[in-house]
Amino acid sequence: MSAVFALVIFPGGVFILLAGMLYEWVDRKLVARFQNRVGPRWFQPLADTVKLLAKEEVVPDGVNAQLFVVLPVIALAGALTAVLYVPVFGLAPSFSFSGDLIVTIYMLSLLTLCMGLAGANTLNRFSLLGATRTLTQLFSYEAPFLLALLGPAIVAGSWRISTIADYAAGHWLILTQPIGFAVALIGLMGKLELPPFDAPEAETEIVAGALTEYSGRGLALFHLGKGVELVVGLTLVAAFYLGGVTNPLWFAVKTLALLVGLAGVQTLLTRLRIDQTVGLWWRYGALLVLVQFLALILWEGVIA
Amino acid sequence: MQVPIMPAKGEKFIIPIGPQHPALKEPGHFEFSVDGEVVTGASLRLGYVHRGIEKGTEGRNWVQTLYLLERICGICSHVHATAYCLGVERLAGVEAPPRAQAIRSLVAELERIHSHLLWLGVAAHEAGFDMLFMHSWRDREIVMNLLEGLTGNRVNYSANVLGGVKCDIDARQTDAILAGLEHLEDRTRHYLTVVTSDVMFLRRTRGIGVMTKDVAEKLGVVGPTARASGVARDVRLNAPYAAYDRYPVELITATAGDLEARFIVRVQELFETYRVIRAILADLPEGELTVRMPRRIKEGETISRVEAPRGELFYFIKSNGSDTAERVKVRTPTLPNMASVLTLAVGHQLADMPMILAGIDPCFSCNDRMIVVRDPAGRGAHWTWDDLREYGIEYYR
Repeated sequence: MSAVFALVIFPGGVFILLAGMLYEWVDRKLVARFQNRVGPRWFQPLADTVKLLAKEEVVPDGVNAQLFVVLPVIALAGALTAVLYVPVFGLAPSFSFSGDLIVTIYMLSLLTLCMGLAGANTLNRFSLLGATRTLTQLFSYEAPFLLALLGPAIVAGSWRISTIADYAAGHWLILTQPIGFAVALIGLMGKLELPPFDAPEAETEIVAGALTEYSGRGLALFHLGKGVELVVGLTLVAAFYLGGVTNPLWFAVKTLALLVGLAGVQTLLTRLRIDQTVGLWWRYGALLVLVQFLALILWEGVIA
Repeated sequence: MQVPIMPAKGEKFIIPIGPQHPALKEPGHFEFSVDGEVVTGASLRLGYVHRGIEKGTEGRNWVQTLYLLERICGICSHVHATAYCLGVERLAGVEAPPRAQAIRSLVAELERIHSHLLWLGVAAHEAGFDMLFMHSWRDREIVMNLLEGLTGNRVNYSANVLGGVKCDIDARQTDAILAGLEHLEDRTRHYLTVVTSDVMFLRRTRGIGVMTKDVAEKLGVVGPTARASGVARDVRLNAPYAAYDRYPVELITATAGDLEARFIVRVQELFETYRVIRAILADLPEGELTVRMPRRIKEGETISRVEAPRGELFYFIKSNGSDTAERVKVRTPTLPNMASVLTLAVGHQLADMPMILAGIDPCFSCNDRMIVVRDPAGRGAHWTWDDLREYGIEYYR
C-alpha cells in the first residue's frame, strides 16, 4: 500500500507534478523579472496544463499513430520513475538499490530520447531537424553529465543514490569538485534544453523543434515530464554537491538557489548553434570533467 | 495538410520559412535547401501582404493620399510622408518654411531612434538573446513617448502636411526630448559595449553573413546594410533634403561587412542621431509652420529620395494637373536589400538564417507590390478591379 502511495501520491505522482509546475513557474518568473518583464502568474503552468489536457490531440498524417500517442506517456513515466530513487523534498528515496544512480540517469534520458523519436516520427521538417538536434545534443552533454554525477559516487564509494546523498550530507563536494558541479549544472540545462542550449527548439529557426506537431495531451505530458526532470535534476545536483538535502527546508533552499543560478545563466547568454554546443561540450566540458575524474581516481586509489 | 514527400536520394531537403513562421514578424516565404545544417540554396517569394496602396492613391486627392502613404510602414511612417510631401511641394513649386523643415528632420531622427532600437531587439531575439530584446524595447518606449508628446501619436505620427508640418515644439517639449536623449545615450553606450564585447553574442555575429564592398555595390544594397560593408551611401549626405543641409549628418561606415558590423553601424548611427537632434533643438529657426498649397498640382513628374532608417526610400510622383496623383510609385529599402539575403545565405548554418534575414531589417508589407511581367491570361495591360479580384482569389487558392 505504501508503495502505491509513493508511486501515485507522494513523493512521486501528484506531488512531484505540482512541484514540477511550481519550479517551472519560478524559472519563468525569474527569467521574466531579469528581463524586466512582468512574467506569468503563479498558477500559469497549471492552467496551461489543464487547458492542454482538455484539448483534442491532433494526430498528423504520415505518422505512426500509436507511437505518436505513446511516446509522451513513456517520457513522463520515465521522469516519474526517476523520482522514486531520488531524495526529493528532502526525504529518503522511496526505493533504493545498488546502482540506482545509473538507472535514474537512464530514466532522465528517456524523456530526451522520446522527444527525439517523437520528432523523427513525424514528416514535419522542423520536427525532423529538431529531432536531429535533440539527439545530437543528447550525445554531447550526456557523457560529461554522467561523469559529473559519478564524481561524488567515487568518493562515496557507492553507486546507490541514498548512500552518496548520506555521504554528501557531511561534505560540501562543491568545494572539492567544483568542475563536476559546474558540468552537472550546465549538463542539466542541456538536458532541459534551456537557453543557451535551446537550439533543438529554437523558435526563430525551427518553430518548436521536435514537438512542433504535438498539441493537446501529448504536449502537456512532455511539458510535465520536463518539469519533473527539472526537479529531479536540481535535487540530484543539490544532494550530491551542496551538502545534501536532508530535510524539506534544505531541499527548498538549495534547489531554489540553484534555480536562481540557472535563470541567471539563461538570461545572460545567447543561444548557441548546435555545432557550437557540441564543440563546447566535447572540447571543454568532457575534457575538464575527465581531468577532475583522473584527479579523483588518483586521490582515492593512490594517496588515500 | 498535404503530406510532404520525403526527399529521395540526391534530392534536396528544403526547410520552408514562412509564410507563417516565428522568425518572421510579417509573412514572406523562404525556402532553404539544406545539407544537414548547412544551407545550399535559397529562394524567396514575396507578396503575401500586398495592399494595393499605389493603386489606392489614384482614387484619392493629394491630401488624402498623404494619410494613406503614411500607413505604408508602421515603423517609418514619417519618412514616407516626408518623401511624398517633398515631392509634391517640388511639383507645386512651393517650399515649406525652414522651421517646418527642421521639425521634419527632428521627427525623422526621433523615428530613426525608434526604428533602430526596435531592430536591435528583433535581431537579438533572432539570435536567442532575449535579454537585449526586452531591454532595448523597454528603452524604445522612451522615444515613443517623446514622439507622442510631440505629435500626439506613438506610431503613424502624422506630423507632415503638404506645405509644412502640423506640430510645433515649445520649451517644455525641448526639455523633455533632451532629458530623454540623455538617458537613451547612456543606454546606447551600454548596448554598444554588449554587441562588441559579449563573447557568446559575438559567436553568432562575428564573421557571419560577410558581404564585401564589391558584392554590396553589385547588389545595390542601401542603408545601414550597405554602410556596414563600407559603401558610403546615405541620402541625407548625398542629396540633403528637409533640413539636413543645415544640420549635416556624419556618415557612419564599417568595413567588416558581417553581422557584427551591421550591429555596430546601427548602434553608432544612434549616437549620430542624438547629436543631430540636439543640434536641431539648439538652433531651431523661427517662423511659420506651413505655407499655402494649391489644391491642384501643376502637371509634371518628380522623384523624391529620403533616407529611411532602413535605407534609401524612393518616390516617383506624377501629376496630370488635377487634384489627384496620376501615379505614385514607392520603392522601399527592403526591396534592394532582399537580394543580399539570398546571396549571403548559401554556405551558412540554418541557425544563422534568421540573423542574416534580420540583418537587413526587412519590412515585408512596405515592400510588397504587384508587377505583371507576363500576362498569362492574355489580358491587356489594363486590369480592371474584377480582374485583380479574380487573380487574387486564384493566387491564394
